[in-house]
Amino acid sequence: MAECPSCGAGLESPLCCDACGVLLAPGVEPDPFEVLGIQRSYEVDEKDLKARLLRFSRRVHPDFFATAPEEQKQLAEGNTAILNRAYATLADDFRRGDHLVKSAGGPSDKEEREMPQAFLVEVLEWNETLEAVREAPQGAAGNGDRAGLAELETSLQAEREDAFTALASALVPLPESGADALVDARKRLNAIRYIDRTLGEIRDMRLQQAATR
Amino acid sequence: MGYIELDVLNNDAPTRRAIGIDLGTTNSLAAIWSDGRPTIIRHEGDSGMLPSVVNITESGEPLVGRPARDQAVVDPKNTLFSIKRFMGRGLADLALDLSTLPYDVSETERGLVQIEIHGKKYTPQEISGLILQRLLEHTCRVLDTDEIEGAVITVPAYFDDAQRQATRDAARLAGIDVLRIINEPTAASLAYGLDQKGEGTIAVYDFGGGTFDISVLTIEEGVFQVLATAGDTHLGGDDLDRVLIDLARRELAGEMSKAELADPSFLQAVRLAAERCKIALTEDPEAELSIVVPDKGLHWRRAVTRDEFERLIEPIVARTLNACRQALSDAGLEPSDIDEVILVGGSTRIPAVRKRVEEFFGRKPHTELNPEEVVALGAAAQAHVLVGGTREFLLMDVTPLSLGLETMGGAVAKLINRNSTIPCSVTEGFTTYADNQTGIDFHIVQGERELAPDNRTLGRFKLTGIPPMPAGMARVNVRFHIDADGVLTVTAKEDSTGVKAQIEVEPKHGLTDAELEQMLQESIDHARSDFDRRRVVDLHTEIGTMVHATERNLDTARKHLDKESYLDLEEALAAAREAEHEQELSEVQAVRDLLERATLPLATLLMDGVAKQALAGKKLEDI
Repeated sequence: MAECPSCGAGLESPLCCDACGVLLAPGVEPDPFEVLGIQRSYEVDEKDLKARLLRFSRRVHPDFFATAPEEQKQLAEGNTAILNRAYATLADDFRRGDHLVKSAGGPSDKEEREMPQAFLVEVLEWNETLEAVREAPQGAAGNGDRAGLAELETSLQAEREDAFTALASALVPLPESGADALVDARKRLNAIRYIDRTLGEIRDMRLQQAATR
Repeated sequence: MGYIELDVLNNDAPTRRAIGIDLGTTNSLAAIWSDGRPTIIRHEGDSGMLPSVVNITESGEPLVGRPARDQAVVDPKNTLFSIKRFMGRGLADLALDLSTLPYDVSETERGLVQIEIHGKKYTPQEISGLILQRLLEHTCRVLDTDEIEGAVITVPAYFDDAQRQATRDAARLAGIDVLRIINEPTAASLAYGLDQKGEGTIAVYDFGGGTFDISVLTIEEGVFQVLATAGDTHLGGDDLDRVLIDLARRELAGEMSKAELADPSFLQAVRLAAERCKIALTEDPEAELSIVVPDKGLHWRRAVTRDEFERLIEPIVARTLNACRQALSDAGLEPSDIDEVILVGGSTRIPAVRKRVEEFFGRKPHTELNPEEVVALGAAAQAHVLVGGTREFLLMDVTPLSLGLETMGGAVAKLINRNSTIPCSVTEGFTTYADNQTGIDFHIVQGERELAPDNRTLGRFKLTGIPPMPAGMARVNVRFHIDADGVLTVTAKEDSTGVKAQIEVEPKHGLTDAELEQMLQESIDHARSDFDRRRVVDLHTEIGTMVHATERNLDTARKHLDKESYLDLEEALAAAREAEHEQELSEVQAVRDLLERATLPLATLLMDGVAKQALAGKKLEDI
């Protein structure tokens, strides 16, 4: 563990010293796991993560440096931005998985974009269901199509959960660089992206339905 | 007069004094942290609320607040209401308002609204600056200080970059050091959290004079973390008024010509009548919409029932609930996940609004705190944090709109998603596509739409100074940073050579630094003389009171004072009479100080033999 240049205490995060409160300049943007001072792993303890966010925020947030010299202010702004970004990456299952695959030397979403034929057919079917609801008549006549939407949502959520379970088994324990498991993880992430896009559209349609009711 | 001088300044007052300001569409209000809690800055018995109205008199002198509001019907074209709706906006944004507003409005070269009054053009920033300036003066008077460290100013959570910058510029024009721009619902949650010691997931429904915001946040161990926010910066009490304005104009269409219906004094009269009627309907099941324009011989009355009003405003209330659904969906929550609902803003006093909010969330909203004060109170609490008063609580807010770059073909590449916690930044790498290319153009947009033209242009940036090299060799890293005020800054560096590329910013809406500088100079000149003039008036009143009290006791003075003190007194009185018409602040101040010193022996004398203890701290004129 690195030591605080100011008080010598062990550092939990490269952004600040939790012992004496001094702000540190982290140089290049550090890895999110390092920022929050936790073990690099797909499995994270959500509660612990949030507690760390709040604890470090209390150290680095610009609100506590509003009357400090300009250079300190800028450092607080920058460090808090790094902290917020690190938390956003780690607190979200998809973004955390994506980050791990990338940083472990796995393929990016652009390098590994091929999806199985069967999956793509499935995606087309989802889109047809959405299209039917969009064109469904108002009132009772459209109820059948709208029920199809609810059904699709339930099945997508189940499928999403399965994909995350598969992602976890590919990433725990963390594979070596170049391992097949990283390619597998990327494929799962791509599938989740398709699912999430459709779930997002369903949510938007619901909001619109509620708005016009 | 007869005031007692309380020893406020020695009362362990914090050395740094910072205030919170709610710069509202209809009313503005300031608050300060004192004795462990935020309090509204006001004279006893007064609401402390300053109507956000400015009237520019023919001499160019501004009236602010109530005196300005009184000019609405008499001088409609020069009396500006709801200027907040114009902040950071262009003419196209205001189409709906313009049909019912009696002003001469035009646009600057960069699409900024300006209003022409007596041949001079005013930006919304300047008008808001006048309101802030008056609020600051009021604060100094109530607190009896001329040192305010700075201010936290609140804006609607859904304000975009241009609107936030405009607010910051307005404060600069008023000579206020802005410690932070914070969001109104977040400020409200802070006041609520401190007052009720509440923890959990809360929703703040903020329906004000001109804007609507909904914020969903968690309060946990003193950290107020916003999860999602949604809203409409053009939906508020003004729109509720407009429903009644339209009603009146529709029904009067038969009796009045088109020109008469668009007449400025008629429009202001209708606007005020609609507002009165709306407020009355909060208490009563029926109220009168009564329009009187004496000059035009117009006396029109019509009864409006609460039922009718509620039917008319239903589409507007429905729009606020749509935003609530959006915010909850973004936060991944259901209405039933919300532990508490807080109502903020004058429009939440309307019974129909309360009822619909209660139905939507399935729980009774909190109304312990005055919905019109809660924002200023929260801002004062935040100001206390910013000057180092406490570390007990922390606000973690989000950016309300996504930030993106226009790509080839007019699509938007998202850089920062909406509801990201601020401050936040993202660094993107760019390269050149032609040999020896030394510049790259960027078009930054804010909004959720897929195509760039459908979003709001935040700015066009030109990156220059890239060292000439073959296409694709340069690596320019551009950092987009949204700061704690929610305002964007852009910096760039060419990576292969380490050259710092230059960024030229062309704000689409907003003021350039040069424009701001010029306005600032003008307003400083203006502000100083304004402030001086008021101070002179105050001093003359004070001198008058002292002279009067001294003359009443002149006999006693002659009999009992030593000769030197008596002569000093006479001399001071003569100086006071001579300075009766003096307008120079330093002169008047000197006379007052002289008089005060000279009357001291007399005051001591009068106090002798009287109950000295009881009178300690009183001034001569009180005895």
